[in-house]
Amino acid sequence: MKSILRASVAAAFILAAGANTVISEVKIGVLYPIAGTGAVYGTPAMHGHNMAVDEVNAAGGIMGQKVVTFARDTKLNPAAAAAAAKELITKEDVDVLVGGLSSAVGLAISEVARQEGVVYIATIPKTIQMTTNKLHKYVFRTSSHTDFEGDAIAQIVKKLGKKSICDIQLDYAYGHDLAAGIEKGLARHAPNVKKLIDLRSKLGATDYNAQITQILGSGCEVVTSGLWGSHFVNFAQQAKPFGLFDRVTYVSGGEIASHEIAGKMGKDYPDNVISNTYELWYDHSFPGHKKFQADLAKRSGKKETAMWPVLAYIGVKFIEAAGNKAGSMDADKFAAALEGMTIKTPVGDRTIDPKTHQANTGQFWGPMVKKSGVDYRVMSPVTFYPAKLD
Amino acid sequence: MSWNISRGVLITCLVLFGLLVFVPLTGSKYLIDLSTEIMVYALFALSLNVIIGFSGNVSFGHAAYFAIGGYANAILLTTYGWPLIFAFPAAIILSALAAAFVAYFCTRLTDIYFAMLTLAFSMLVWAIAFKWRSVTGGDDGFVGVTVPSFIDGRVPFFYFTLIIVTASIIILWLICHSAFGQTLIAVRENLTRAGFIGVNTRMMRGIAFVIAGAFAGVAGAIFAMYNRGVYTESAFWAESAQVLIMTLLGGMYSFFGPAIGAATLYILERFANEYTEYWPTVLGLILLVIVLVLPEGLVGLAKRLKERLFLGGGQ
Repeated sequence: MKSILRASVAAAFILAAGANTVISEVKIGVLYPIAGTGAVYGTPAMHGHNMAVDEVNAAGGIMGQKVVTFARDTKLNPAAAAAAAKELITKEDVDVLVGGLSSAVGLAISEVARQEGVVYIATIPKTIQMTTNKLHKYVFRTSSHTDFEGDAIAQIVKKLGKKSICDIQLDYAYGHDLAAGIEKGLARHAPNVKKLIDLRSKLGATDYNAQITQILGSGCEVVTSGLWGSHFVNFAQQAKPFGLFDRVTYVSGGEIASHEIAGKMGKDYPDNVISNTYELWYDHSFPGHKKFQADLAKRSGKKETAMWPVLAYIGVKFIEAAGNKAGSMDADKFAAALEGMTIKTPVGDRTIDPKTHQANTGQFWGPMVKKSGVDYRVMSPVTFYPAKLD
Repeated sequence: MSWNISRGVLITCLVLFGLLVFVPLTGSKYLIDLSTEIMVYALFALSLNVIIGFSGNVSFGHAAYFAIGGYANAILLTTYGWPLIFAFPAAIILSALAAAFVAYFCTRLTDIYFAMLTLAFSMLVWAIAFKWRSVTGGDDGFVGVTVPSFIDGRVPFFYFTLIIVTASIIILWLICHSAFGQTLIAVRENLTRAGFIGVNTRMMRGIAFVIAGAFAGVAGAIFAMYNRGVYTESAFWAESAQVLIMTLLGGMYSFFGPAIGAATLYILERFANEYTEYWPTVLGLILLVIVLVLPEGLVGLAKRLKERLFLGGGQ
């Protein structure tokens, strides 16, 4: 009787429930901001994701099964991202989640992954919490994090041989975490460097005049920062007339060395900037990068490709490798396969630490210099800083 | 008092409740989650309608009380380890107190000034949640909310939500259809005349604001446990705008209209997100349709259709 009742009720709801019983595919739920302000990051990331999925399918799929993507817009909103992640798991029955952009969105998806027992690979979020106090068995991160980034900044400050810094960060989680990462790095590499001032700017701020005058008044030799995207663009445009970049070396995280920023700013990009990026379209230091970049350029329709695709691309490559190694998309077996796994990527080998679930994702760092023949800055020399804290 | 509910509405409510009771039997996790989310937003929209539909004021900052309820419940359960039986009511009381504080200032004003002040206070709540990182988690959000074991599962939580939301809706219905509710409608229709006949209009509007804040807090407290997290976006103006659109879409002059609007908008959003990234465009179109064609919302449309079908159009 109970089974009849169950069947009747199930039949009544079948359309809304969207029952899906296809099992001959590996389903990836991908979550990036693909509309609104976040689309500037999410859309290129989707290029990288789709390119990797096409490559995997062309090579026979995962365990011989075709890989299918179900993409959802996170809207840069954690609650919306959590709802989308739940929908991907409960309705589309995805085997694994991948993506995320902001720290809050990453943590929200991670929480859903923990509840539902589905593996989530964070490809862009950097919050240190994800692989420390919010770590669980189903979350993995293939992007860098603020401690690695801060450590690299500290190493550069040491190499510059300077004795004083000013730190300016955005007043939100990433800025606070990066400031802490820089302090830890300085304690390791350059304990004698003195921080003269600690400045915080509002997220989304467009006016930096107060901070610029404070930096100039402090007399520091280096400015460390994590102002990213349009924050850096606005800061640089306002600081240049004051001659700030002639008086200090600006060492910054936030990937302002990426071509997205360098290309956008063109000739307005200031001197004396040393920064980072996950990938450079013109640097083929690692095997496989040239082909990756050529394929991406073809897909994107432009020679100078963005940095974000490689992060999404690596996420899919880890899914491919872990699926094939585990021989199953069962979350526990899949998670076990990811622990300690090493794969080759267009930007070097990546290994996931079995304890912290953090990939050793290093970054390219270097000064941004003028180059004849083009009206944008390029990084030269390019130095790869591996992800290690020692 | 007019506590009589029409037969048609009563039957619809009972059928809907009956259907919801059986949702977990489908075995569809998706349907259970979707129903839980819709119930929360329905309560949130119904609470806002106490201010809009009954007292005649527009609040642009109702998300503040949703967020306060969520944060308070999450913090008390997780940081302080309170049992649900204390944390949940405390979260509701805190939301009500916050609403009372805001109401004290806002009810001095009317119309757009009232609306703008509610927006200002809600952004203040957002700023506190954003900046008070050690307590709220800042923009990372308060993640990993402790949920009591007896509701720590999809189905038990669904029934918990169903019971709380149903009880809340019944209480709201009784309030809105009591003498107090009828007086609120008098205030909405003509503030000056209501004042002249001896109604303390400021106090009435203030009480309506507190009731609305308290029930928004209930919705927020449930949502925090459902998501196992609370985020600053819950207090942001965009969340207030969304619940306002839900209320208008359903119909602000009907008690159940906002719940219908919440369900419609939420389902539309979920399905739109599966097929297009242009949800904001869809939302804009919905807003245009409400303003130009459906000023009384979906309930108003249903009434008009009913009149045409059963009364021969009345032309």
